[in-house]
Amino acid sequence: MKAWLGSTALAAALICGGLSGLGAPAKAQTLQVAVDASPAGLDPHIITAFTSFQVVNGTIYEGLTGVDKDLRIVPVLARSWTISPDGKTYTFSLVPNARFHDGTPLEAADVVATFNRVLSRDIASPLASRLAAMERATAQDATTVVVTMKEASAPFLSSLSTIAIVPRRFEADKDALQRAPVGTGPFRFREWQPNSFIELSKAEGYWGQGRPTLDGVRFNIVPESATRQVGVSSGQYAMLANIDAATALQLQGRPGVRIAETLELAYTLVGMNVSKPPFDNPRVREALNLALNRAEIVQAALFGAGVPGGPLSPALSEWALPVSQFPCYTHSATRSQELLRAAGHTAPVPVTLLVLPRQDIRDIAQVVQAQLNRAGFRAELRIPELGQFIQDWRNSNFDAFVSTNAGFPDPDDYFFRTFRTGGSTNVFKYSNPAADALMDAARVEQNPATRREQYNQLQRMVACEGPVAFMTYGQLFTAVRDTVQGFDIIANRSLSTLSTTSIRR
Amino acid sequence: MKRHSLVLQLSGAFLALVLLSALLAPLISPFDPLAQNIMARMRGPELAHWLGTDQFGRDILSRVLYGLRASLIVSSAAVALALLLGGTLGVMAAYYRGLTDRIVMRVMDVLFAFPVMLLAIGIIAMLGPGAMPTAIAIAVVYTPIFARLIRGPAMVIAESDYVLSARAVGAGDMRIITRHILPNLSSVILVQTSLMLSAAILVEASLSFLGLGTQPPEPSLGTMLSEGRNFLLLSPWSAVFSGLAILIAAFALNLFGDVLRDTLDPRLRGNR
Amino acid sequence: MSYIRERALDLVIVLFGVSIITFMMIRLIPGDAVAIMLGANTEVTPERVAEIRARLGLDQPLLSQYLTWVSGVLTGNLGESIWTRRPVTQEIAAHVWPTLQLGILALAMGAGLALPLGVTMARLRGQGFDIGLRIGSVVGLTIPSFWLGIMMILLLTSFAPGLQVLGYVPFFEDPLGNLARLALPAFALALPILAHLSRLLRSAMLDALQQDYVRTARAKGVPESQVLFVHALRNALIPFVTSVGIMTGYLLGGAIVVEQVFAIPGLGRLILGAISERNYPLVQATILVVTVSFVLINFAVDMLYAVIDPRIREARRG
Repeated sequence: MKAWLGSTALAAALICGGLSGLGAPAKAQTLQVAVDASPAGLDPHIITAFTSFQVVNGTIYEGLTGVDKDLRIVPVLARSWTISPDGKTYTFSLVPNARFHDGTPLEAADVVATFNRVLSRDIASPLASRLAAMERATAQDATTVVVTMKEASAPFLSSLSTIAIVPRRFEADKDALQRAPVGTGPFRFREWQPNSFIELSKAEGYWGQGRPTLDGVRFNIVPESATRQVGVSSGQYAMLANIDAATALQLQGRPGVRIAETLELAYTLVGMNVSKPPFDNPRVREALNLALNRAEIVQAALFGAGVPGGPLSPALSEWALPVSQFPCYTHSATRSQELLRAAGHTAPVPVTLLVLPRQDIRDIAQVVQAQLNRAGFRAELRIPELGQFIQDWRNSNFDAFVSTNAGFPDPDDYFFRTFRTGGSTNVFKYSNPAADALMDAARVEQNPATRREQYNQLQRMVACEGPVAFMTYGQLFTAVRDTVQGFDIIANRSLSTLSTTSIRR
Repeated sequence: MKRHSLVLQLSGAFLALVLLSALLAPLISPFDPLAQNIMARMRGPELAHWLGTDQFGRDILSRVLYGLRASLIVSSAAVALALLLGGTLGVMAAYYRGLTDRIVMRVMDVLFAFPVMLLAIGIIAMLGPGAMPTAIAIAVVYTPIFARLIRGPAMVIAESDYVLSARAVGAGDMRIITRHILPNLSSVILVQTSLMLSAAILVEASLSFLGLGTQPPEPSLGTMLSEGRNFLLLSPWSAVFSGLAILIAAFALNLFGDVLRDTLDPRLRGNR
Repeated sequence: MSYIRERALDLVIVLFGVSIITFMMIRLIPGDAVAIMLGANTEVTPERVAEIRARLGLDQPLLSQYLTWVSGVLTGNLGESIWTRRPVTQEIAAHVWPTLQLGILALAMGAGLALPLGVTMARLRGQGFDIGLRIGSVVGLTIPSFWLGIMMILLLTSFAPGLQVLGYVPFFEDPLGNLARLALPAFALALPILAHLSRLLRSAMLDALQQDYVRTARAKGVPESQVLFVHALRNALIPFVTSVGIMTGYLLGGAIVVEQVFAIPGLGRLILGAISERNYPLVQATILVVTVSFVLINFAVDMLYAVIDPRIREARRG
């Protein structure tokens, strides 16, 4: 791990050094980014929505670990670590010269305070479950943090990449960071004009040598898709971050615009409520899987930019099984109808699909509706307002829903919360002791090969009869002006590579 | 005078054409407005699809016709409800005067005090989005307008000799209102209904455009425009034609109401 | 004087009613408003829900909630944004200027163009030009401003792809950039105003031209242009002024959609954003502030009207 870090840091330093050697910028270089929605707040432990995440992750805030563009876990604020043989004790050594943007140096006590903050009931952080396996954290000295675990946790290092380290003085403060974030990252928060822009400026004295190259980043909030597209075509905006296929398609081939793409970790799904008819019957769930024509959904809603996918993103090539391993993924309306008849349904099965009110999901839902209606269902769409959707979703107030779920570099993050009996997002009320046993075992398994076999079994188990019909993994795009260099798109939608980005003039 | 009735007939015929094509949408639409055909998506106007196809390969002409129907249904329901509520309140206020008048009109003033879109958005924020909440929201914001518009003329009629004499011979309130007052208000009501429908179509379209009105896959013109604008650079047809249809429907209703008002309003007649 | 007193009393009643309706909005939401507000957060504890409910005063009896709220409003405390805990007055203040500027520009554009157009229509009444303009004005009244905005953006990309006129910069930072960015959205908003005002002016002019003093002026041999622009126009301007109240209401509604299309950080964006994140205190406060301003503008216009035209004091009674 350590050697690896050294070489990346060196490479980064060389690249950046090389670039800046080309000539000092004559004028302040601020990258104009256009995003579609204003974040509700910028506290990384309270607001975890993408609108907030893409502004702060890896730019203002850093975790002990991070995710690189190939989705590998890499050291960030922890320059190295050791794990005890039983997997229950982690010792992190912090980078020595990191400072928060308020001038205080990063110390082990800040990391401990951050963990306590995330776990505090008062803060009520949605990230708390990521640290559930942790017993306690202590500061051994100013630069060493020791974490004791309740049990070994294979996904722990991956989970840590999502925990932004904040100064200890905010441990019990629920409000201050929402408006004025303070982190250790390459950019510091400068100004937020709600509904207009969020501006970050270069953090002087950043610990990562030679970074950042830009003098600042300005996130312009532009709600109208056509307006964003026109803005990047005209050069008013230099980057449209994390856009969908429809937008990318329209920008493809425009002069001066370049499209970066990668396969998403997030997936689209039909989630089924197994606590009531008709989806309490595994056959009906399988029938729904058969009714879906995933290739057509990719064509119709994603404009071909994506792949049908199973329970894990094909981007996690180490873990994901190919969809050919799941028999119910071969579309057949007749098989679906047969299964429904076998389940005792003679007439078309009425289902109401609750739909996440987001344009791409609405599009997918309309295709899904048409497909289900050809395969023995009678589907209706209900597209409520976002707050209402979340309410119904959380209270399991649905037959089935069409939505999208975030993805993660580690399979445990996909499965445990979703399929484990009592899991935090198991709104399907799914409970399968065999699956639970596999998830529990894989979570603490230290041997990668055994762990992989456990997850293979689990994927086969839930693919056809589980409460989720996984549909597609889309391509994620970012459009940039061709003068933007050194930017890499990352599948988890982090814009952390802005720290190595520069604008050629 | 002669030219007047010609203009009225022309604008009436135009309006009838718009209303008929909306009403007969199921009969005259060349395709099922919900039928998807991914292979033929985002086509421009061509022989098979006169107005082209949208992002799912659905026929835009069929969707525009059905959308027009949906928009008209929501708007007419809203205006009918507003007319019923506002009309009743306005006539009551005019007929009974005194305290009734004061209370009713103050309540109407309060509702009237809110800017139309703002109150509609507020109501939908509370009820949740959809065609029904949209109709309710529009009805609520238009009720005070009808009440105010009808109260004035109703007051004049209630003071007129024939109402006074009807009252003198002992006719009941209900009878006087339905037999004498309402019939005399019909022209005012007709003109206003036509103008308000035109405005309601625009409000419905705005709300749907903001994602608060009629929800997909139902084709409403505002929703179509809202969906179509995401593909503006690639295939502007859906956005162009749905917006044009909103304009045509609102135009036909407004023109008709406008011409009708000129025809009926004797004061303006001399000016032509 | 008694007219003013009566109108002032009406004003108080209306403001009271507006406060009741706005106050009830949060409380009429079906379901638990606080739970809906917290939305996406799956790990919200009951304690947190209770805390926010207490912070919003939702745990008190209705009447005392209202009294607390109103006394807060009267002392300039409209509550705080549920997420950022910033006072909502601050949020509103930050969004007022773009909307105000957009509205004033649209009004200026609409009124400025309506003057020559309305006068011309009146002068050429019944001719092809007049009829063409009348039909045009109905189109102007019924064209959806958001659609117009989108079409303008579409044309812009086709014909002037390098032009950077989206978004918003404050006037005092970059006056030219500010005006360049607001020109298109202001025009989209101005078109219905132009249509409305030019029609109003046309019929007011026609009215005025029938009046005795105009006939007298003509008989005296006053030149036609002077008759039109001095005698008739001056009187025709009265309804012009009074429709400013109606225009304000229209502009506020139109601005909500146009701001969305052109990415202008005004009140419309504020309220739509607040609705989508279920920030009810902010929704409530924005609706209240905007409506009260609207009521006060209308009141001022009414007073102005009464001053300009004494006849109205009598006519409007009752």
